[in-house]
Amino acid sequence: MKVLVAVKRVIDYNVKIRVKADNTGVETANVKMSMNPFDEIAVEEAIRMKEKGAATEVIAFSAGPAQCQETIRTALAMGADRGVLVQTDAELQPLAVAKLLKAVVDKEQPGLVIVGKQAIDDDSNQTGQMLAALLGWSVGTFANKLNVADGSVEVKREVDGGLENIKIKMPAVITTDLRLNEPRYASLPNIMKAKKKPIETLAPDALGVDVAPRLKTLKVEEPPKRKAGIKVKTVAELVEKLRNEAGVI
Amino acid sequence: MDFEPNQEQQMLIEQVRRFVREEIIPLEAKLDPDASELDPADHARLVEKTKAMGLFGIDIPKEYGGPDIDIVTRVLLAIEMAQHRAGLYVPCYGTFGGAGLAQIFEANEDQKERYLYPTLRGEKKAFFGLTEPSGGSDPAGAIQTRAERRDNGWVLNGAKLYISNADRAQYGIVFARTDSSKGRAGITCFIIDSDTPGFHVRRVVHTLRSSHYATELEFKDCWVSDHQVLGEVNKGFAVANDRLTRQRIPYAAGCIGVAIAAHEMAIEWAKMRSTFGEKLSHRQAVQWMLVDNEIDIRTARHFTLEAAEKARRGLPFKIEASIAKLTASEGGGRVVDRAMQIHGGMGMTKDLPLERWYREMRIRRVGEGPSEVQRMVIAREILGSNLR
Repeated sequence: MKVLVAVKRVIDYNVKIRVKADNTGVETANVKMSMNPFDEIAVEEAIRMKEKGAATEVIAFSAGPAQCQETIRTALAMGADRGVLVQTDAELQPLAVAKLLKAVVDKEQPGLVIVGKQAIDDDSNQTGQMLAALLGWSVGTFANKLNVADGSVEVKREVDGGLENIKIKMPAVITTDLRLNEPRYASLPNIMKAKKKPIETLAPDALGVDVAPRLKTLKVEEPPKRKAGIKVKTVAELVEKLRNEAGVI
Repeated sequence: MDFEPNQEQQMLIEQVRRFVREEIIPLEAKLDPDASELDPADHARLVEKTKAMGLFGIDIPKEYGGPDIDIVTRVLLAIEMAQHRAGLYVPCYGTFGGAGLAQIFEANEDQKERYLYPTLRGEKKAFFGLTEPSGGSDPAGAIQTRAERRDNGWVLNGAKLYISNADRAQYGIVFARTDSSKGRAGITCFIIDSDTPGFHVRRVVHTLRSSHYATELEFKDCWVSDHQVLGEVNKGFAVANDRLTRQRIPYAAGCIGVAIAAHEMAIEWAKMRSTFGEKLSHRQAVQWMLVDNEIDIRTARHFTLEAAEKARRGLPFKIEASIAKLTASEGGGRVVDRAMQIHGGMGMTKDLPLERWYREMRIRRVGEGPSEVQRMVIAREILGSNLR
């Protein structure tokens, strides 16, 4: 069984995000980029499946500018077998990515597609679900644990207030949550091997996908600054303020 | 020369950076500010990770089972590995393994079996016994420890000072005078087992590194056989010259790593802290300190990578190694000093790593050949050998 994983190039989680002066987006020039952490978890899970013999090949997919090749290369260094890059400088929204993924899925016929539950830049949490809908496949979101057996996959899902166990038929789309696994460090030998692994580059047009944005970003702003706190002298004063000023009790 | 890391180097840098951030710094937060060791269980757990990364034994040459990385990559990783509180002297608390002393790689096969291989396996530790009460920068002139011929071996008498780890090591390399009539050409290098009768650690010497002491050693009629001579008699200084010069390059890289970490802290703090109604980062006095930090770091990084690149290509790199060591240790000291100044009172506290870096960075201008000796090396090279 082939497993397809999607990896998105995002601003590194350690970088302090700065909004552009004209409020059209966030500053990405000269900013360190890395693989979306939820996608690292997806890659790790796919590689573990291959190591256990549940998968035969792991394909890393990315869409975006040429530099996304570096993100794919990171997945290859972790242990993925080959990469597919849909190269475009256009702004890609979740629906466009889902359509591109569908086109590649139609071509590659994987048994499982594993994607991060969301990317840490736009926090959309949509691509996996949209892809499943476009494919007409089962979907297991927010995976905390996966078990592949006999043409189906058991997914332990992280839901509000606990964990939910479901069993879905394959082929299926899985979206990963934070606790599914701890991604490995890419090893020196694998980093060197990754150099030689193939990355196929495709264009959205060639896949017959219209990636034009369907949503319009009106304005991007910094979160409001937190107001300074105050000190209270007594519990009675605290209760009074909570009741009359904050209105929370 | 282009010193931008290639894609593979960049990926390795990112792996090590993640290791420092996710494995080392969280553990360090729970340790004493001067700690030089992790809890043994944590150490063992992290060694498993560096082994899985294929980077364990990072300083061991490839032919002895170390990772297949060149010295430029080694420098790039050393810069990352030093970016934490204990990073200057114990980068990543030794979880990337040690290499053993440069000299021991020049040992004969019997000595390699007894000392080098056990060291590479982590079973034995060594000390390096060069400096004496009479000095260390000019060892050829200063060495007074004598080794005299007796019973198919040698009898050592004398003392060594400021020797690290001698009380914990199983063996050490000791330089002694075997021919008092010839200065430099009368020194021999010996391998001394710590349990040899006549050898003992006389006292502990406390240093700037408050949790890490040096020692004073005494040799009193300490007899060793001919099998303990490393290299040739009277050619103690011929041993490992190239390896020693090579060591200056990662040594410089450690200073750069700490300087980068201090600089980043200073930048963040300057952007956050306000005085008299304005952010520190808006004040020219602070901006210029940050600019000078940037220049010191870039200078040291450039020269260190240049030295590494020359060594990698098999070109002469003696001057370059000295310049790297100088710019990194002196520049690194200035950067940490400025970062402390920008942090104000907080910079002096043990809540931040700056004060530890400040103390430890001071040693770097003396250790591994003091600044003056590095300048002397460069002067000799540019003025010609007749200066000698």
